[in-house]
Amino acid sequence: MHVLIVEDEKSLHDEVRQFLLESQYLVDSAHNYADASEKIFVNSYDFVLLDLGLPGGDGLDLLREARQNDRQEASFIILTARGALDDRIKGLDLGADDYLPKPFSLLELQSRMQAITRRKFGLKRQEIVFGPGFVMDVQGRVLRHGEQEVPLTKKEFDLLHYLVLHKNRVLTRLQLGEHLWGNVLEDDSDSNYIDVHIKNIRKKLSQFASADFLETVRGIGYRVAENN
Amino acid sequence: MRLEAKLALFNALSKLLLVLLGVAVIPAIVSRVAVAHTDQRLHEKKREVLDLIQRDGLVAFVRQEKQEAYADYNILKQEYISLTPELPRPKPAAPQERIFNEQRQVDDEVEDFRILSYQFEADNRPYRLEIGSSLATVELLEDTLRRLALWVLVIGAALTVVTDAAFARFLLRPLGDLISRKLHNVRHPSAFSFTPIPTTTTDFRQLDDSLNEMMHQMQSAFEKEREFMSNVSHELLTPVSILQTRFENMLQDPTLAHAHSLKLVDSQKTLYRLRNTVKTLLLIANIENDQYLREESVSLAAVVAEATNELEDRLAQRELHLRVLLEPDFVLPRANQTLLFTLIFNLLSNAIKYNREGGSITVTGVVPPQGGYHLSVADTGPGIAPENLPHLFDRFRRFHASGPKSPEGFGLGLPIAQTIANFHKATITATSEVGKGTTFTLEFQPIVAEQ
Repeated sequence: MHVLIVEDEKSLHDEVRQFLLESQYLVDSAHNYADASEKIFVNSYDFVLLDLGLPGGDGLDLLREARQNDRQEASFIILTARGALDDRIKGLDLGADDYLPKPFSLLELQSRMQAITRRKFGLKRQEIVFGPGFVMDVQGRVLRHGEQEVPLTKKEFDLLHYLVLHKNRVLTRLQLGEHLWGNVLEDDSDSNYIDVHIKNIRKKLSQFASADFLETVRGIGYRVAENN
Repeated sequence: MRLEAKLALFNALSKLLLVLLGVAVIPAIVSRVAVAHTDQRLHEKKREVLDLIQRDGLVAFVRQEKQEAYADYNILKQEYISLTPELPRPKPAAPQERIFNEQRQVDDEVEDFRILSYQFEADNRPYRLEIGSSLATVELLEDTLRRLALWVLVIGAALTVVTDAAFARFLLRPLGDLISRKLHNVRHPSAFSFTPIPTTTTDFRQLDDSLNEMMHQMQSAFEKEREFMSNVSHELLTPVSILQTRFENMLQDPTLAHAHSLKLVDSQKTLYRLRNTVKTLLLIANIENDQYLREESVSLAAVVAEATNELEDRLAQRELHLRVLLEPDFVLPRANQTLLFTLIFNLLSNAIKYNREGGSITVTGVVPPQGGYHLSVADTGPGIAPENLPHLFDRFRRFHASGPKSPEGFGLGLPIAQTIANFHKATITATSEVGKGTTFTLEFQPIVAEQ
């Protein structure tokens, strides 16, 4: 997967780049409008992560320009701290594939990229196998063990899916909470909703098989450990 | 009351006054006119008679049988002419000609007459000529004239009332256009139409131009505000963004010592707090600066359903019983669905957070007698002390804990709720009883029909 990061804020660019490299992406960078415009025209990317406020031009113009070029098949994800509502509407109208307001979680970025990839290649029935024989049907939102269905609530499913998607990574309660509650502003970051959810998930899973793969990392968060 | 209606009313009243004045004054004028007219006719008749006497001589008038007087009456006894010889007298002291009202007997009837009496000499003999016109005739004329005048007045008044109203309507049409096109349907500066209203009236032209000018200024102020907010967002959120991604990357580092990981998680918490504060302030500022649209029609029941669906697990975790009594539903014709969701979500989320385990939450919608809609969210939590109630919606105010399970503060959820409520022209109030629970009530105004 070839990704172009269009971002003029160097520190932010570096962090995103490091994260994507570690996640086995091929990364290219542009720090201003002209540079980005040229790179998009010359190279073929799978993803363009587009910051809107760029030196030398507006990111939305870049998107428009790229969309007029038939050869371009890159998926655009707009990353902006402008927080302006109109930009979002404009971006999606012009054919951006997704939109992430800054500040965003890198894990969230990655799961959006995976979702776009799934959509693009028409993977209708995506199944993830994990732990001792659990099979997650992402589209159907069903978790199975063998022929049996594990009854999870909507939030429990989302939480487990997120952990499985980022397996072998420790996810903090904040990261999990942000994924579950999205843009809703929660001011009690100390709440134990995530812990209760995990406890319930473990209880449900262990009726079918061992739930030990869902680990607690003391003081930090939770992790789904790779089983092979 | 609309200007057009006022003008029409004023117009009608002034015409009515005119008619009343006419009714009061016309009889007097008409009777004068009628008398003057009669007098003039008598004078004319007198001239005719004198002319005849001159031409034919007095002899033609003198009746043989009576030898001394001549009189002629018409059949209806409306007029008479009499010629009477008079005793020779010294030059008359009385005026030669007089007009007066007097009774005269004609045949067997006595009637009031207006009489012109004239003394003259013919054949060296003084004669007196009397020409009379029945007063009944004069009154008849007077009556006819009076009726005619009144009818003309009434019809004229009625006609002008109608034409004046039509003309006023025509004249005021640009004003109506101005109000309906430029004032009524504008909810957002960007929705303003700058097309000039067609009018030749200078005042309206001026009004329209100043309105356009003002709106231009507002739009530019609005744009500046938007740009400012956008820049502030960028300046505040970019550093947060850098730190957030950096912390995330650092946490993935397998060589990181556990103690440092704990510190990082703690820093992440602090950063989230900062982030949420910044986002909340930006949200409130953006709502207050009207940067959000109000263009969707939103059903409150649907929003409540959406929010409770999201909060299902939390309700279950605390074993809370939720009752939703939204019959009838209320549909806001112009609202922002996302913001209303945030509002309801915040209220429900608070009701869950500050409830007792196994308690209940009741969402009730009622239509009050004066119209509109009241949506209330009641919990069975520890309640809020009366002294804290007025400050519930203050930003960044924290309370001293008054019990082991009582909230130390509602954070920014309620100020957001209040801002969103105001954005939708609703008010939010809280009532609470310590030990029993708290009820938040949203009062929506009645829907005003669109023009």
